Amino acid sequence: MSKFSKPIIALVLIAMLAAACATPAAPTGTTAPTSICGDAKSGDKLSVMYQWTGAEEEKINAIFKPFVDQCGIVITAESTRDAGVLDTRVKSTPPDILFWPTTAPLTLYPDKLVDLSTVGAATGNYAKYWLDLGTANGKQLALPAKVDIKSIIWYSPARFTALGYTVPKTFDELNTLVEKMVADKNIPWSMGFESGAATGWTGSDFIQDLLLTQQGPQYVLDIISGKVAYNDAGVLKAYETYKKWAADPKYTVGGSDGTLNTAFLEAIYKVFQPTPEAMMVKQSGFAGGEIVKQFPTLVYGTDYDFFAFPGAKGMQGGADYMMAFSTSAAAKAMLAYLTGAEGAKAWAQTGFDLSPNKLALGQYTDPQLIKKSEALDAASGFTPDLGDTIPAPFGDTEWKAIIQTVQGGDIQAALDSVAAAQKQALGK
Amino acid sequence: MMPAIMKQGKWTPWLYLLPALLIMALFIAYPTLNTIALSFMDRTSTQSAAADCVAGQPCWGVFENYRYALTNPEMTQALGNNALWLILMVPGTVAAGLLFAVLAERVRYEKIAKSIIFMPMAISFIGAGVIWQFMYKVETGGGQQTGLLNAIITGLGGQPIAWMSTYPVNNFALMVVGVWLWAGFCMTILSAAIKGLPSEVIEAAQVDGANAWQTFWQVMIPLIMPTVVVVFTTMIINILKIFDIVFVMTGGNYGTEVIANRMFKLIVTDTGRSMAIAVLLITLMTPILIINIRRFNKQEELR
Repeated sequence: MSKFSKPIIALVLIAMLAAACATPAAPTGTTAPTSICGDAKSGDKLSVMYQWTGAEEEKINAIFKPFVDQCGIVITAESTRDAGVLDTRVKSTPPDILFWPTTAPLTLYPDKLVDLSTVGAATGNYAKYWLDLGTANGKQLALPAKVDIKSIIWYSPARFTALGYTVPKTFDELNTLVEKMVADKNIPWSMGFESGAATGWTGSDFIQDLLLTQQGPQYVLDIISGKVAYNDAGVLKAYETYKKWAADPKYTVGGSDGTLNTAFLEAIYKVFQPTPEAMMVKQSGFAGGEIVKQFPTLVYGTDYDFFAFPGAKGMQGGADYMMAFSTSAAAKAMLAYLTGAEGAKAWAQTGFDLSPNKLALGQYTDPQLIKKSEALDAASGFTPDLGDTIPAPFGDTEWKAIIQTVQGGDIQAALDSVAAAQKQALGK
Repeated sequence: MMPAIMKQGKWTPWLYLLPALLIMALFIAYPTLNTIALSFMDRTSTQSAAADCVAGQPCWGVFENYRYALTNPEMTQALGNNALWLILMVPGTVAAGLLFAVLAERVRYEKIAKSIIFMPMAISFIGAGVIWQFMYKVETGGGQQTGLLNAIITGLGGQPIAWMSTYPVNNFALMVVGVWLWAGFCMTILSAAIKGLPSEVIEAAQVDGANAWQTFWQVMIPLIMPTVVVVFTTMIINILKIFDIVFVMTGGNYGTEVIANRMFKLIVTDTGRSMAIAVLLITLMTPILIINIRRFNKQEELR
């Protein structure tokens, strides 16, 4: 080896170790405790686990900051998207507080989770349908902390006005609008569900909105609980409507090949790029942030906006739930903060999507969030995203069925296989 | 007569081996036994697998997870795909490696050529999967093709192909990525074997009038056969557990499912089945490993 190889190798190894050992930035606080902090003392430790990284992690840290400043609690945060990592942690040293985008932990670790109503969470600040989402066996094991609405369609108001289209208010009006666009030789929908190992989830969201419109929210909840088999006639009807739009190049960009091969982010961009390829894309609230990131010159309200999926009874959405594995004073204080007035205010003003906390209403500053919170309030109920709530083997089979439908396969056969997986997964 | 100080006690060899034995027991033997045990339990790993049986469907009792691993349509597709990979990709990679090894020897820029061919080995499989995803991308709306392959095809006047979602093209597309990754590895080992051949034998063959082709097939290959077998078995083991490429590029959809991908998807929610698949993989690999070890022993004897 040359004279310099050894020191260089040593330097590289040390640099790698240093990078690996650097912990993510978590806020550290100072001053004296007040009423929220309860029995927690300054310097108490709290371990938190969540899936957020990058900009989202910065937002949750901004939300924690007033709490940390008041109570002086030291938060150690761990961020992972891997269910396997969560599993290992829970079975060894569980985090004190967990933020997870599905209620899967409720079925996987029911004995380790703490009933939130017994540790000072202000459950009175949540509407009943929020509480129901986190209830298992009569215990409040989870509370939704962050909500993003999904039953919305993004479009360009400027183009709509230029081409003479109006925002539909009922499902029939939506159908008429779609047919009118096709007659005008404009492609109505941009769909894309390529997403690596999660391919198919945007299709699942669309079908759920169709179910909400055609059958209603209770139907969807019954599918989640297993009361309605997945190969029921109602589901078949939703699939047929979806297939009509998703597999035909007249209705969606690229037809079935387009839907299958386009990544979901690109599908959003196609509606708003300088030469748009489609008029509408149905996607969750996060699409707004993505649009402005990709096309920074666009203005919300004129160039891009959303309307609620017309006719959907009840709003579909994705929620991140907070759960607790510990009854330490610090954990209780955090729960009291987030479910109370100060946490709601911090959440609304940081603009980290919507908070289901009633006290957050009217505190939002971002115009998109204000409109979303109004849409959520106006909805007659909230249905959790089916794809997020059902157990993984059932969900995987559902995505496969959707892919097969778009490819032109037999819908009933696909639904039958999903129904079998549903039965097996829900143990009925 | 050995001086007393050099005599080893009966237990001394075992003491030297003890740290390695302990580590092996802890990190290999115990997890393997645990995996086998878990493969006979149900999805919550608390009761016998028979608890997972659904009424009205065939049930193998405590072997319920193995019934899933062997008969479920997703698994049979995965097993079929792994077989396809074995039949096509292993010979393909070894042949590519051999070809590059032989050709690289004849050029002046041999070192550069070999470095370039070996470079893909330095990338992680996930990185390779992402790179090739860009290569295979298809633009369906009528805009410009951004994927390299489709850009070439449309540039020549053809219709773009949806590489990742069309069965069975997608399997071959994934195999190309595998060959691209591993050819460098095969080439390096085979090149070392070829360089180790005694030049007198090659010269003797040429003096006897053999042309290049005959020299290659009838003289060189038989001489490096032990190395070729080692490369073959290593590649077989790699392909049996192929995962990253499939996971990143198609997620196992569109008929590209493989065994390791199934195991990964089930590991948290359906531990019993996942463990049964793992045991299946170990069983499939064992004959190959035995062949490999026998080869090593034979070579050791020859020394």
